[in-house]
Amino acid sequence: MLAVIFLAPVYWMLSTSLKPEADAIATPVQWIPTQPTLDNYREILTSPDGNILRWTWNSLYVALAFTGLHVALCALTAYPLARMRFPGRNGWFWFILSSLMIPGIVTLVPTYIMMLNFEWINSYHALIWPGLSGVFGVFLLRQFFIGIPRELEEAARLDGAGSLQILWRIILPLSVPALATLAVFAFMGSWNNFLWPLYTVTDVDKMTLPVGITTFSQRYVTEYGKLMAATTLAAVPALIAYLIAQRFLEAGLSTTGLKE
Amino acid sequence: MTITRAPTRTTTAPAPAPRRRIPLEPYLYLLPHALLFFVFTVYPIGYGLYISLHRWDLLNPVKTFVGSEFYRNLFTPGTPQADFFWKTLWNTTFFTVVSVPLLMAAALGLALLLHRPIFGRTFFRAVFFMPGILTVSVMGILWRWMFDNQIGLVNAARDALLGAPPIPWLSTEGLAWVPIVVGTVWWTLGFNMTLYLAALGNVPLSLYEAASLDGATPWQSLRFITLPLLAPVTLFVFVTTALSSFQLFGQSLLITGGGPSRSTQSVIQYITEEGFSNAQYSSAAAMGFVFGLIMLIFTAAQFGIMARDVKGDGA
Repeated sequence: MLAVIFLAPVYWMLSTSLKPEADAIATPVQWIPTQPTLDNYREILTSPDGNILRWTWNSLYVALAFTGLHVALCALTAYPLARMRFPGRNGWFWFILSSLMIPGIVTLVPTYIMMLNFEWINSYHALIWPGLSGVFGVFLLRQFFIGIPRELEEAARLDGAGSLQILWRIILPLSVPALATLAVFAFMGSWNNFLWPLYTVTDVDKMTLPVGITTFSQRYVTEYGKLMAATTLAAVPALIAYLIAQRFLEAGLSTTGLKE
Repeated sequence: MTITRAPTRTTTAPAPAPRRRIPLEPYLYLLPHALLFFVFTVYPIGYGLYISLHRWDLLNPVKTFVGSEFYRNLFTPGTPQADFFWKTLWNTTFFTVVSVPLLMAAALGLALLLHRPIFGRTFFRAVFFMPGILTVSVMGILWRWMFDNQIGLVNAARDALLGAPPIPWLSTEGLAWVPIVVGTVWWTLGFNMTLYLAALGNVPLSLYEAASLDGATPWQSLRFITLPLLAPVTLFVFVTTALSSFQLFGQSLLITGGGPSRSTQSVIQYITEEGFSNAQYSSAAAMGFVFGLIMLIFTAAQFGIMARDVKGDGA
């Protein structure tokens, strides 16, 4: 019963997307499309106002680049913080960790001006670089790396392995669950980012999916069939990703920030 | 490792040596992230302060120092900045106060239901979790259509079930919050539910068995065993939910456009309007700092919860 209520909006989206425009706004409402048609999808996919496939590709490119770079950076940073002794280790860790307390709104305007100065407006750079130095991933991986038994590392060291080899051959393979969790979060975060791309990318061809889709909502303000076809298409990649990453996503969510 | 090799190696092993030269290696690992951290986290904070203290006009290379003018504007009744900033901050607070208890209570209720081994449990969990994976614009466009004044599904259902006339949800002050709150609950409930489910999975069953032997009713078990054990999660859920509710932006922007007459405009939407639409960068930067200071209370609480984890054994 609750599940039905939860699914109703999604059903309504699908159902509306399959109706001719007259049926979409008919009163009384048609619960089931009487003349199902794929015209809305055809028109949205071939619309000259913007290309959903192009936006999906942009989103995918940005999210994959961001995820790869972010996970690599976090792993490189978390490794010495968890496994090496050196002056300033704890100081640096707490220093970067304290940046988690700075709300994003504080850096919104200055970072935007930086993007203008760098001439990164309307480029992928603006969507990828500013978020890379986030420290939550460093925290997550450091906590995980600390738990790896020291004996493994010492055995490798006796065999003459350098620190990079230890990271690559021992630490990272043992940390796949943590790395996967971080990757899923990074990917979802980048994929669903809305506010920042809304203002830094105004060129229709460079837009990401979440932003691009809103241009449809401004254009097809009264054509609900097409609008719902567009939102359905925009939801598909997330659904596929969810089905693939389901295990990691829910497991990761329930371990993050909480240790019970 | 062989016995013949081991002794020669252990003499040079770094671990037991008490006095060593400062190693270079760790710093090389830290360098790439540190560079980006200074450019995109540390520097913008100082730069933002600088912008907020100067009159920033992109076309004018001279940035006049104006001191605290843009901050004072916010505390001078009658300026549009003061009026709209505090109005939208109030809107955001209102949204937080209404949505957080809903999101917590409903998530806990669902988690308690779905924790038990009922039929189709995995399916139901997925159903409630799924909306959360949709991007905010899909969610926003969908709920705008659901609550459409004339032909939205909500009004249609009212007509079909109750024969009631349609309500102009989106264009009535006060009522315009309903689609935003309902949409947000639908959208984010699953995250909190998952956190509660994970915590429930850690409650030892033996506690319940002992309680039922002592004649405890299910209500008493819930009241005296489950809820106290869930207290740490509840605190975490409260802080993170309040934090994200305070960052309200996309939902109101896409569902109501902030209307009618700014009654649902969020403070972040107003700051972006001032900054990016009106090109009042200095004013928007100043607002960012003031709002950031308010948010700091919630972020500090979240930080405290996370820090508790670090101080433990770290495993």
